[in-house]
Amino acid sequence: MQITCTINGKVHRFDCAPESRVLDLVREAGMTSVKAGCGEGECGACSLFVNGRLVNACLLLAPQIQDAEVVTLEGLQEETAAIRESFAEHGAVQCGFCTPGFVLRAYDYLSHGGERSEEAIKAALDGNLCRCTGYRKIVEAIVKVKS
Amino acid sequence: MGVVGESVVRVDAASKADGTLRYTDDLPFDGLYGAVVRSEIAYGKIRAITFDPAFDFSDIVIVDYRDIEGRNANVVLTDDQPFLAEARVRHIGEPILLLAHRSKRRLREAAAHITIDYDAQAPVLSMEESLALKQRLYGEDNVFKAIHTLKGSLPEGRGLFSLEKTYTTPHQEQAYLEPQSMLARYNGGRVKIIGSMQCPFFVEAALEGLAGEKIEVEQAPTGGGFGGKEDYPSLIAGYAYLLCKKAGQDVKIVYEREEDIAYTTKRHPAQLHYRSRFDETGKLHALEVDITIDGGAYVTLSPVVLARCVLHAAGFYDCGYIRVDARAVATNTPPNGAFRGFGAPQVIFGIERHMDDIARTLGLSPAVVRERNLPGAGSLNVSGVPIAEHARLRALFDTACRESGFDALYNAPPPHRGVGMALFMHGAGYTGVGESMLASSVSIALEADDSVEIRVGSVEMGQGTLTALPQIVADVLELPVGMVSCRTPNTAEVADSGPTVASRTVMIVGRLLAEAAGQLKRALGDYDSPDAYREAVAHYRQRGGPLQFGASYEQPAGILWDEDLFYGNGYEAYGLGCYIAEVEVDPVDYRVRVVRFDAYNDVGQVVNPMMAEGQVEGGVAQGIGYALFERLVYETGRVRSPRFSDYTLPMAPDLPKISVRFLGLEGPSLGLGELPMDGPAAAVANALGHALGNAFDALPITPETVEEACR
Repeated sequence: MQITCTINGKVHRFDCAPESRVLDLVREAGMTSVKAGCGEGECGACSLFVNGRLVNACLLLAPQIQDAEVVTLEGLQEETAAIRESFAEHGAVQCGFCTPGFVLRAYDYLSHGGERSEEAIKAALDGNLCRCTGYRKIVEAIVKVKS
Repeated sequence: MGVVGESVVRVDAASKADGTLRYTDDLPFDGLYGAVVRSEIAYGKIRAITFDPAFDFSDIVIVDYRDIEGRNANVVLTDDQPFLAEARVRHIGEPILLLAHRSKRRLREAAAHITIDYDAQAPVLSMEESLALKQRLYGEDNVFKAIHTLKGSLPEGRGLFSLEKTYTTPHQEQAYLEPQSMLARYNGGRVKIIGSMQCPFFVEAALEGLAGEKIEVEQAPTGGGFGGKEDYPSLIAGYAYLLCKKAGQDVKIVYEREEDIAYTTKRHPAQLHYRSRFDETGKLHALEVDITIDGGAYVTLSPVVLARCVLHAAGFYDCGYIRVDARAVATNTPPNGAFRGFGAPQVIFGIERHMDDIARTLGLSPAVVRERNLPGAGSLNVSGVPIAEHARLRALFDTACRESGFDALYNAPPPHRGVGMALFMHGAGYTGVGESMLASSVSIALEADDSVEIRVGSVEMGQGTLTALPQIVADVLELPVGMVSCRTPNTAEVADSGPTVASRTVMIVGRLLAEAAGQLKRALGDYDSPDAYREAVAHYRQRGGPLQFGASYEQPAGILWDEDLFYGNGYEAYGLGCYIAEVEVDPVDYRVRVVRFDAYNDVGQVVNPMMAEGQVEGGVAQGIGYALFERLVYETGRVRSPRFSDYTLPMAPDLPKISVRFLGLEGPSLGLGELPMDGPAAAVANALGHALGNAFDALPITPETVEEACR
């Protein structure tokens, strides 16, 4: 089937099977910040925005992005600059495979006026898995993002 | 300049955070995807392989063991494991055929049209069945390796208390976020391997046996390893190599999470039987430990994991008589392998649970019992040599008890809460004289722009190698850290500095790099600023000296090791930990929450405090996962929980704010990566025992176990 959507503002057309995962489509389109971690919505490494909502690309099938506006970390470099800087400065990046997903989660949280308390941030991170950091430095980095 | 000891921001942070860093699966690729057809039975013979005649296989690349030109053996310590099964299979998931095609969908369809018939035999699925010789799987007795040690003589039993307990620890999955991934590049008949790995030279050696020729191996940015990418990548690299060679095209294999959890190596499960004798003050007089670990279907690294179990089995406690009998056994389950801690987390759980059981038997505080058994100047360790770290251990213990307020919490815990501790050590680097056998070498080179490049086989997998090693070299050269970089490990271009395992990167490779940097500095003469350095380099270039400097490992004087007697210095150095956990039990649903965790560490000099803290916090999180969350369910030799939705890992809300302290910063770096994985499970189990007045001897401790204990 034919699927048309915009990814980071550019129109993309996919000729794909209806059961194709959005994860694979956006990666084939070159958006490698979207990582395949678990394939079942548990780890958040494949996070991206569809029509302004943060979702796991591994759980979406191709028809679900027909005519949609898809935004990945590649399309949010300026908006996430302060968050990424804070992650680097506070040691919140280790192997880095989960990091784009956490950056988008933090961006979504903060841009919706999320409270800068550790407990609230921890709760907001419940859909993202990190096996390296123990989360403390990620939480600290988000608390201290310069606004 | 003193860049060692500074929290330098990691060099790869920006490219990881903005998504531009290319992991294996992100690399430009125009070729075939590879897949593995695996055994559906745990033990038996392959009778026939049938390719459905109704399906067109003509465009599918198919590889079986007959395509192997070199040896069909993945040699780690022995050669018992084939890359592809020939006549017999020994575990569910054992690779039998390899397939490749441009379309993943067609690849799946092809796999579905292949039928394998077996003569199935009754598999050996537990350590008990293995030792009872239900089937003979390995040698005469199914034992991959046995180790026996004895120190001192058995004391007179009169007036002594004795205690006998069994503790068990389960499989644990490394759960690196990036699944196993390997890319084989085809270039005019030659194959180059690029992939996610900890040990490029291990992969090179394995492929040399398989291919009968040297294959260039390059590490790609690696999304976590924790030991899971120590030995396993040799296998998947072999599959990619075989398909690439046969297809004459690039081949990429990236595991789905389920395949990764179900068939790659895990932490060895262990049964730990502790028998002790002690007096009324809690002083240990005799300790006997019987250890059995499950190696799975092939030897792989089990003998070395077992050695680490033995060397850590008694902790660092002072005891006149220590006997350890240990064995790694064969079963028909996927082979187990390396995981952060490498045998130590299992036995540290055993000895640290046992110290609490002794305290409970006598009605004493766990801190008091540990204090009475701290080693002194004359105390010998399990392998019969004095515990050189005794003063540091006492200092660490005293600080941890005082600063955490352990006694107050222990004597008056809030309702539903408990506090527990673990006091432990971790030997860094290879065991015994292993480091001298590795004969690691490193090199550094002066580049055209006067910067310095490090050329070693040590990899970045998240722990900070690319930042810490330049810090060490820059410190010696008194240069800004930005003037030193690390080349991507590629077996054709860097020195073999040994594998990235066993907390040896900073301790061993870093020390060698400091030596090499010292040679460069002496060659350059005096300079007191980066500008003066550039002048000194210019003069040096005019004189025409070598541009590359190297150093090789030599065993420090006084290291003594007898492998047969298991006597001597099991390790060159030990990191030390005293961890304190406070837990709260929900009286309604029996959920356990760790509400506070204090990690006191002595790992000598800390190269980058921020990264080191991150290592400890992450290790503690894995240890808490080991204690409370992570449970792999096996059923007739098959993993029944191969997904992150079944195999539960700790998420942000599941963890407390882990507090990290480093003490004893003077002296050389002692190895840091593994230590924080060793102690948390025992500290948490002991805290839970304190909260509920009960003993928790088997991991993981789930709400179901807690409910049962409360009944």
